[in-house]
Amino acid sequence: MTTPALALAGATRRNGFILEVDLTMAVGETIAILGPNGAGKTTLLRLVAGLERLESGSLRLAGRTVDDGASAAAPHRRPIGWVPQDRLVFDHLTVAANVGFSPRATPERTAALTDALDLTGLVNRPVGECSGGQAQRVAVARALAADPTVLLLDEPSAALDVESRHLIHRALAADGKPATLLVTHDPVEAATLADRIVILEDGRVTQEGTPAEIRVRPDTRYAASLTGLNFVDAYARGTTATTDTGTGVVLAEPTAGPVHVVIPPSAVALHTTRPEGSPRNVWQATVTELRPAFDRVRVALDGPLPLVAEVTPDAVDRLGLRPGSSVWAAVKATEVTAHAA
Amino acid sequence: MTAPRTVVAAAGLAIAFLALPVVGLLQRAPWAGLGSLLGRPAVADALMLSLLVSVVAAGVILVLGTPLAWVLARVDIPGRRLLRALVVLPMVLPPVVGGTALLFALGRRGLVGQWLDAWFGLTLPFTTAGAVVAATFVAMPFYVVAVEGALRSGDDHLEQMAGTLGARPLTVLRRITLPRLLPAIGAGLALAWARALGEFGATITFAGNLPGRTQTLPLATFLALETDPEAALALSLVMLAVSLAVLVPLRDRWLPSR
Repeated sequence: MTTPALALAGATRRNGFILEVDLTMAVGETIAILGPNGAGKTTLLRLVAGLERLESGSLRLAGRTVDDGASAAAPHRRPIGWVPQDRLVFDHLTVAANVGFSPRATPERTAALTDALDLTGLVNRPVGECSGGQAQRVAVARALAADPTVLLLDEPSAALDVESRHLIHRALAADGKPATLLVTHDPVEAATLADRIVILEDGRVTQEGTPAEIRVRPDTRYAASLTGLNFVDAYARGTTATTDTGTGVVLAEPTAGPVHVVIPPSAVALHTTRPEGSPRNVWQATVTELRPAFDRVRVALDGPLPLVAEVTPDAVDRLGLRPGSSVWAAVKATEVTAHAA
Repeated sequence: MTAPRTVVAAAGLAIAFLALPVVGLLQRAPWAGLGSLLGRPAVADALMLSLLVSVVAAGVILVLGTPLAWVLARVDIPGRRLLRALVVLPMVLPPVVGGTALLFALGRRGLVGQWLDAWFGLTLPFTTAGAVVAATFVAMPFYVVAVEGALRSGDDHLEQMAGTLGARPLTVLRRITLPRLLPAIGAGLALAWARALGEFGATITFAGNLPGRTQTLPLATFLALETDPEAALALSLVMLAVSLAVLVPLRDRWLPSR
């Protein structure tokens, strides 16, 4: 196996709060860290950046130990890039001076990122005069220009305009990107960008897996509520969004262009016969898997749309659900949300 | 709101009280002979000496006061509160007391002064260097307070950010900390320089009143009042002009306009 970009196994304490994490990242891998407020997500990023120190255990970046609990390498000796939640752009410097700030930034790299994040027209502008979205793009370009082995992103697209969000997501998915630790509240962002999702609760990892694994088998109530969403790319025209495989999903509000369609599992109702009445979205599907998730059961379905439904154990008995069962899945248009992609 | 008349009257009285001495000075000023008065050798000497002493003091304050302000604002040292109090002490200490203290510390038989004399043959009292020491002592706190305040009002997150980008601590200081501190450094320096220029009590106590060596503008003014009131007025005008020149650009820092 090749040297991982990041290998962390250790604990740190901060005002009585304990963060204890065991995490390995392959080169170029993107991991989304999801978790409630106060779970230690930002502390985890600051630990990797060298702004917090381990009390025990070790942290290796690109095979080099940077913190062993006794001594720690200073942030400027770590191959990282950090985009904090409050951006921390240098507002006394121009856009160009910000993007090229790192001593590791080469002119070619700086120019390519300036272009990729659509900052070319702003290079001579003081960052203090930029909009929030522009400043965030500067922060992302500046971190990537530092040629990091591990990129640390703290809510990189929270409260951003659609254009900036799109540019940032595109830059983060580009070829040759660094291993990325992405803290987010947004399950859609996590599912679009991440190879793996790690759920952090109260300073501990409570679950990790691919977005699909966590959707089908959430281990905790938090994971179930946040990541257990059905998610599909589609192209919207009016109140219909059409998926890559040609399935139409009826939306409550008309919209246009590429969208991420999101359906909460609890909104998927299952029937043994074709339902009558109000639901606008009805598909025939086959049950592939049944999984208990706390007081509910998650039912994975194969059909025109790959869906996960969440029903009561009672309903499983009543409908006689088992792998291979044929069912009708119904979703009200008002339960479907479509985010611009 | 409409202000009660008695309050307005009292405020007017206060303004008159503050403005009257300035008006008095301007009204008696020997405008016509100003050039020749300031050109007199004794007056010109005092002017040049004051300029030299205050500029050197400002230089010392810049070089020593900036690291001090940084340490007080950013480094977690034991007894920091006590140290802060000590640093601002010369602001409230009567300058004569400051001069006396300097004499007993740096005088020829003083705590440190005896060693300066024995080892380096260095004597500070009654020398121009002594006048610089006195001016530095009373003016340094004005600079340190201004710069430390600016450092403390901004946290060190931008410095941390620069560190994660690979910048060494000295680079961070040069490219982030100092450029952002420049307005406070300028304001603090102007203030400290003006204070050094006007220094009287500590200078006369520690450095004496030797024409051409330690007789600075305020000392010359005080002396001229007895023998040559015209010259005293001319010197006062110079110092008034300097005070206004420092005050006007800094006014917005102390009294933000609404």
